[in-house]
Amino acid sequence: MPEETNSSVNPSAAPSWPVHEDTTAKWFLISSIAYFFIVGIIAVVIAAKFVWPSLLGTVQYLTYGRLRPLHVNGMLFGWLLAADMGLTYFMVPRLCGVKLWSEKLGVATAALWNVIVLGAVVSLLMGWNQGLEYAELPLALDVLVVVAWIMFGANIFLTIASRKYDQMYVSIWYIMGTILWTAFVYLTGNFAVLFATGVNQANLNWMYVHNAVGLIFTPVGLAIAYYFIPKSSNTPLYSHKLSMIGFWALAFVYVWTGAHHMIHGPISQWLQTIAIAFSLMLLIPVWAVVYNFFATMKGQWYQLKDNIALKFLMSGVVFYLLTCFQGPMHSLRSVNAIVSKTDWIPGHAHMAVLGAFSFFAIAGTYWMIPRVFKTSLFSEGLANWSFWFMMIGGLGFFVTLRLGGFWQGWQWNNVAIPFIDTVVALKPVWIVRFFSGILMFLGIVSFSYNIMATILGAKDRPAVAA
Amino acid sequence: MQDHVYPSIYFSYFFFALMAGGALYFFVKSLKSGYLGRNSEEPKHRMLEDDEQGGIR
Repeated sequence: MPEETNSSVNPSAAPSWPVHEDTTAKWFLISSIAYFFIVGIIAVVIAAKFVWPSLLGTVQYLTYGRLRPLHVNGMLFGWLLAADMGLTYFMVPRLCGVKLWSEKLGVATAALWNVIVLGAVVSLLMGWNQGLEYAELPLALDVLVVVAWIMFGANIFLTIASRKYDQMYVSIWYIMGTILWTAFVYLTGNFAVLFATGVNQANLNWMYVHNAVGLIFTPVGLAIAYYFIPKSSNTPLYSHKLSMIGFWALAFVYVWTGAHHMIHGPISQWLQTIAIAFSLMLLIPVWAVVYNFFATMKGQWYQLKDNIALKFLMSGVVFYLLTCFQGPMHSLRSVNAIVSKTDWIPGHAHMAVLGAFSFFAIAGTYWMIPRVFKTSLFSEGLANWSFWFMMIGGLGFFVTLRLGGFWQGWQWNNVAIPFIDTVVALKPVWIVRFFSGILMFLGIVSFSYNIMATILGAKDRPAVAA
Repeated sequence: MQDHVYPSIYFSYFFFALMAGGALYFFVKSLKSGYLGRNSEEPKHRMLEDDEQGGIR
């Protein structure tokens, strides 16, 4: 049921441009920001529990074991993936020159996604947990995720199928990849894994965990960056050809890397070596992407001074480069022997998911919301505060956990040090982590408030100027 | 209890092969469609003007 285009908007410039309703994009973005705020509170609480382990310890629903999976799933699926889906509903129709295939199907998808996230909150707080990293949700919610993903995928693919232009912009390639790879990664990580045991189960689980970041959040995050960096700087991408090389390099390299989480574990040496080799090869697509963004910004860096979306985007690109350099390095056997299972790993994961991909999603939100509500941002100053809170808090978090992780790993490698002593020794690291978390949460509060105030006061302010 | 380890692993291998085959097919198709050819830069200019607010910042 493709909906007809309306050529009444801006007829002198482009008579055939459609009017986009963006109802689905708005629903996804607004709900994702609400979850960002709520799960941000949980993040601060579990960071506090590292410093004061008995905090709220007598309330079973608020123990670390209940809150940690809620934080992970809430941030991944409640905030980031929902925001990415909202931005996808915004980008794809515009890149295809048509309206979204079905706005009604999109709104139904947003409603179902909210049911899933709220179901996740209840089930994880109740302790109904499958006990698998990133795959904690009960089976019934997994099935609903698959249904929602089919609804999302069908809507996006049918929009792309009805596009006006033959050649697709690179963001569309990444979005199509995200939809197909998520199907593969999610089904394997949440269903096939239940029928495996022992080492095989661990291997499937780590393939899922790593590819949840690499084949879900990475491609959709890059789709957002490829769209909003040229848009917000009003500068064409340096090279579309290079962007396609980066896309195909990612497609062929990423899926092999998951086993690097089990280096020095009880899996085959050949599988570990393959994971290491492909982890190093990841530097090819990463550099293709990062070089393209830096080259796009040549002569345009001055725009960062007063362009909040670009500030988040280019900081996200730097974090993307750093985290993707760090990943291949810690897949090396010698480095892995020190950092594996230490605080280095959450430092690395947070730099990817928060520093890179959440920064991209925040930038997209700052750019999109004023335009779809036909208004201007509530406060540029507050947006700047949100950037600096997240930047300083994030840097404090990443740097501290990496240094702390190395220190922790060296202690673990010394059999003369009792384990409990290594826990006590890390307390200063966790204090810095807690205060960095407070700063990041202040960033989330100022971002959320700014966006909500923009939406609620939309009629009182003029639309963004050309 | 019946052991489902190998069927589940084979399922994952099958799924992986399916996705790898699909990637290869679309990669070749994209080459034939000229994505790495002479006119491959056209989408990057078009995307700046593809919505009702073309070019605003």
